[in-house]
Amino acid sequence: MAGDRARAALERVEALRAVIRAGGGADKAAEHRARGRWTARERLDALFDADTFVELDGFAKHTGRDYGLDAVERVPADGVVTGFGRINGRTVYAYAQDFTTIAGSFGEMHGRKIARTVELAARCGAPVIGLNDSAGARVTEQMGALAGYGRLFREIVRASGRVPQIALVLGPVSGGQAYATNLADFALMTRGSHLYIAGPALVESVVFERTDDETLGGADMHATQSGCIDLVLDDDRAALAAARLLLEYLPQAWGEAPPARAAVDFDRPCTAAAAIVPDDPAAVYDMRELVADVMDAGSMFELKPDFAPNLCTAFARLGGRAVGVIASNPAHLGGVITAEAAQKAARFVRLCDRFDLPVVSFQDVPGCVVGSQAEAAGVIRHAAKLIHAVCEATVPKLTVIVRKAYAGGYIAMGSKDTGADFVFAWPQAEICLMGPAGAVGILYRKEIAAARSAGRDPAEVRAEAEAQFRARYVDPLYAAGGGHIDDVIDPVDTRRVLVRALAAVAGKRDVHPPKKHTGVPI
Amino acid sequence: MNRAAVTARTPIVGRVAAVRAAVGDAVAAGAELGRIESMKMFIPVTAPVAGTITAVTAAPGDVLPGGSPFATIDPARP
Repeated sequence: MAGDRARAALERVEALRAVIRAGGGADKAAEHRARGRWTARERLDALFDADTFVELDGFAKHTGRDYGLDAVERVPADGVVTGFGRINGRTVYAYAQDFTTIAGSFGEMHGRKIARTVELAARCGAPVIGLNDSAGARVTEQMGALAGYGRLFREIVRASGRVPQIALVLGPVSGGQAYATNLADFALMTRGSHLYIAGPALVESVVFERTDDETLGGADMHATQSGCIDLVLDDDRAALAAARLLLEYLPQAWGEAPPARAAVDFDRPCTAAAAIVPDDPAAVYDMRELVADVMDAGSMFELKPDFAPNLCTAFARLGGRAVGVIASNPAHLGGVITAEAAQKAARFVRLCDRFDLPVVSFQDVPGCVVGSQAEAAGVIRHAAKLIHAVCEATVPKLTVIVRKAYAGGYIAMGSKDTGADFVFAWPQAEICLMGPAGAVGILYRKEIAAARSAGRDPAEVRAEAEAQFRARYVDPLYAAGGGHIDDVIDPVDTRRVLVRALAAVAGKRDVHPPKKHTGVPI
Repeated sequence: MNRAAVTARTPIVGRVAAVRAAVGDAVAAGAELGRIESMKMFIPVTAPVAGTITAVTAAPGDVLPGGSPFATIDPARP
């Protein structure tokens, strides 16, 4: 039984704990809520299973002594709440910046607490989630803050590939913290939040441009243009729910399996998927509807839906098992691979590979985009990233060729030659080195040029040659004859076939020859 | 017939700190036409070709996005 001195000491601790838990106080919290945002502790309560959060380093004090900080006894928790808890029963580490406490600014101790949370998560084999909401670096702490960012980045990178890291942007996020979100595996953002290296005031003082938060770093800009954000959510509630859901597709740590669900209706015929692809081989459709019908009902979780939508990246479940999907989407730009699409998919495939998620590829790809604009944009350099990621991935890789599979697109999206374990094709699949028009222009160049002197219409000669080429090569049985595809399947059987294929590759072990690391063209 | 006029453009967003070129000046390729204050630096705006300045479209104090016209050069009149 505790003596009087211990009891008195404990009372002092508890009194201080209450002060720290109050953060910046009731007025600041009310101000924060008025912006439609939850406080750091409210967010942690919503993120974790009820009553499971355990705070660490709550009594840590700020180190700054300049600009009056020496007169401040304590910045509660130094502006960031760190600790661990449970999400659907799994241990997860987290930090939440407290905007009510000197604007959640990133000082030396603040940074050290976040870096320790990341390091702990990596050491203990549990995911880490960062709830970012901060005015930026604590300018009064200068090098303490700057060095803190560096230490944090190093811990994030050391943890990268060991445990999943999820960053949420839940308010202003600038400077070092902005880089931290994109060093993580995922970056989610609420509408009304802002993410930038420098905010409007700093931008004006350094480059004199007058701009505003939304233009500079709004959720819509990032979702559609920069590609820095995986998912935009309406508010804190939706963002925290999305983070919890994301974990359902991820393992605790590298080398462990993501949580599996009971397999359901794995023989279900994909009648909707089969009906989606138009008869006209040049007509567009939304591949996402097709994929959703093949995967376990309601299991698709798309990332970066509005950035390079011509190539869809999504998590899903197939017979209860979590998988990553890359799918050309003809609904946008005909499903071509652009520089942005290649970057997006390359990053996604590497993510799947490091966390043991099989990659299921749905191809309807006319190729990588060509032309002077595309070349000047470096499409070669960016498409090489996707090719690298696909060749490098040692997880199970399954490919379904829905329709077009041409040239580099076919290779980049996963063929047997780049390590796909199984490749299946739908009956209308076009699997070719190049399209009929391009091939005929080369193969029948002389005949077409000589047509007029032979008293024939060159267009007619060309059309005849194209028809012959099409009949011979634009037929999945031609590719199957060469051993390039395992089977031509009835579209309604796609789910059945994929579920069985996934089970058959479950024991796959593939390793690269030893080396420092590959030269991914990042 | 003269070759088409060439536009010298600003290399980066910022404020025009100095304009050194005037209409009628003969300039060499790479000559400094002015400076942009940006990112704690004074960054030169240079002539992409040799020729004669036919117009100066930037003025000190202007805040311009990167790639804005700064001056026009007639490359046929050195």
